[in-house]
Amino acid sequence: MSKFVDQPTIFDRSSWSLEQIVEHFEAERSRQLRRGRFVQLLQVLVITGLFGGAFQASGFFSSYLGDGAIGRIANFLSRLFPHLQPDRLFEDRATSGSLLYWLYDLNLWLKLLAETVQIAIVATVLGAVLALPLSFLAARNLTPARWIYWTVRRTSELVRTLPDIIVALILVAAFGLGPIPGVIALTLGTAASLTKLFAEANEAADMHQLEALQSAGGNWWQQLRFGLIPQVLPNLASYSLLRLEINVGGAAALGIVGAGGIGVELSRAITFTEFDTYFALLLLTVGLIFVFDLTSEAVRDRLIGAEKAA
Amino acid sequence: MIVQLDLIERATLIAPNSVYLPWLNRFGRWICWMIAVILFVGMCHNLDLSFDVLSRGFTKLGTLTKTMFPPFANGAELKILQALLVTFAMALSGTVLGIIVALPLGVIGAKNVVRNSVIHFVVRRTLDILRGVPVLVWALVMISAFGLGPIAGVIALALADFPHLAKQFAEALENSDTRPPQGILASGGNRLEAIRLGLLPQVVPVMASQSLYTLESNFRHAAILGVVGAGGIGFELEERIRIFAFDQVAWIVVAYVMSVTLLDWLSNQMRSRLV
Repeated sequence: MSKFVDQPTIFDRSSWSLEQIVEHFEAERSRQLRRGRFVQLLQVLVITGLFGGAFQASGFFSSYLGDGAIGRIANFLSRLFPHLQPDRLFEDRATSGSLLYWLYDLNLWLKLLAETVQIAIVATVLGAVLALPLSFLAARNLTPARWIYWTVRRTSELVRTLPDIIVALILVAAFGLGPIPGVIALTLGTAASLTKLFAEANEAADMHQLEALQSAGGNWWQQLRFGLIPQVLPNLASYSLLRLEINVGGAAALGIVGAGGIGVELSRAITFTEFDTYFALLLLTVGLIFVFDLTSEAVRDRLIGAEKAA
Repeated sequence: MIVQLDLIERATLIAPNSVYLPWLNRFGRWICWMIAVILFVGMCHNLDLSFDVLSRGFTKLGTLTKTMFPPFANGAELKILQALLVTFAMALSGTVLGIIVALPLGVIGAKNVVRNSVIHFVVRRTLDILRGVPVLVWALVMISAFGLGPIAGVIALALADFPHLAKQFAEALENSDTRPPQGILASGGNRLEAIRLGLLPQVVPVMASQSLYTLESNFRHAAILGVVGAGGIGFELEERIRIFAFDQVAWIVVAYVMSVTLLDWLSNQMRSRLV
């Protein structure tokens, strides 16, 4: 019975009668229940207030959506889908209702998709190359000094706090419109996040192999090259590929602030209210990301499989 | 008679490929590296990533950075903090809406709750497809439907979140232990009591922790959504970058980074209590 009373008793209960014990237990239990209910009520009140305030502040209740907001969404949706006509699907682009009329600038879009992929690949490669040396400094078992570890870790956290889009927005002001601010923004984000992931892979590595090389007379570089890298390489490659997947999506989105790639056309289509064009671009982008994800997932599975087999 | 050989020679005799790769393999590797480097350089060329352009850009970035210091809000401190609050309110409302939509879908999508494999398949695949649409795309759609303002951002966040949350909720339900509810049923409890006392205590902490993660990431996303016109801190930031007021940009960025750190810390504290 004493397990229900969590407070240690300061007086001896061995001389109590059964009635006394039961009475004490009931009193204690109802006291705890009452306190629990009060705390719960308080929590519910505070949380309801917070949610109410949040919905109020974000204009959820007060937003005037105009008359027929539903109608507007329906109108928007009807303009989103192309008005294809089955009988002239394969006519040239001047005919309304044909596929080419819908995808009227397909060559440019494919070129921009290629640019998006290139931005992602270049940024991932540059980011990974930057992150590799930094990850040695940010791994607790390899870092030359405690303060270097601390500085690299905190800097990478700080950079990861900033969204890529905001970095790109500032870089567009410096570099002008075009793919370069996109590449640099993604490189920064990639370097920061890969530094952390690589460093964690380094920390999980078996140090005995490095010690064996050291005892055989290997210097610092040889220890890393032949003791550490073979252990962590499959992980690093897998993380880089994962980041590449993220960067393809990121590169597509960065175009919206003018940093090159398919996003430029996406935001142009929205600005000119060409919603069917927007839908076409969206399909192309989602398709690209989908294909990219599948390929990279297959490669990553093989990498990790190779590591497990080894 | 034992011929004393050098260590490396001995190893080469026993396993020829262990010490030196055959020249064909080495040549193949070398070719692969060359192709990769040529491709990379070609891509850099396509993207105009030349040293000249970069040095000019970084010089300009240097002058811009100089105007960032000291960060100065120009009397708009209250307005910026208010925008931060609106961003947080957007994130919170979006998360709550997302949770409300995700809860029933998560329950339907859990294999151990709804045993019909057709429903399970349809729900899960639909969620998979919806997960592919990024939040920024939802925001652009919602802005063209609802007009500029935070409400578009809230709905975009909720739409982007609920497929993720529903999947995580379904997985939490699937990973739960079936014995506690069975025990309650066996000792005479009804189905409702079995769920309330046997199932929920297992899954609620997991769901709450995932919802907190969602809230954290939504705060970052909400800041981005402002850039495309969904109100909040991103809107203020974009406005000031457009007029090159970089001292105010720096102030906003510092305030934003601090609030993100604070929110992450708070949510970490709450999560460590939950789990």
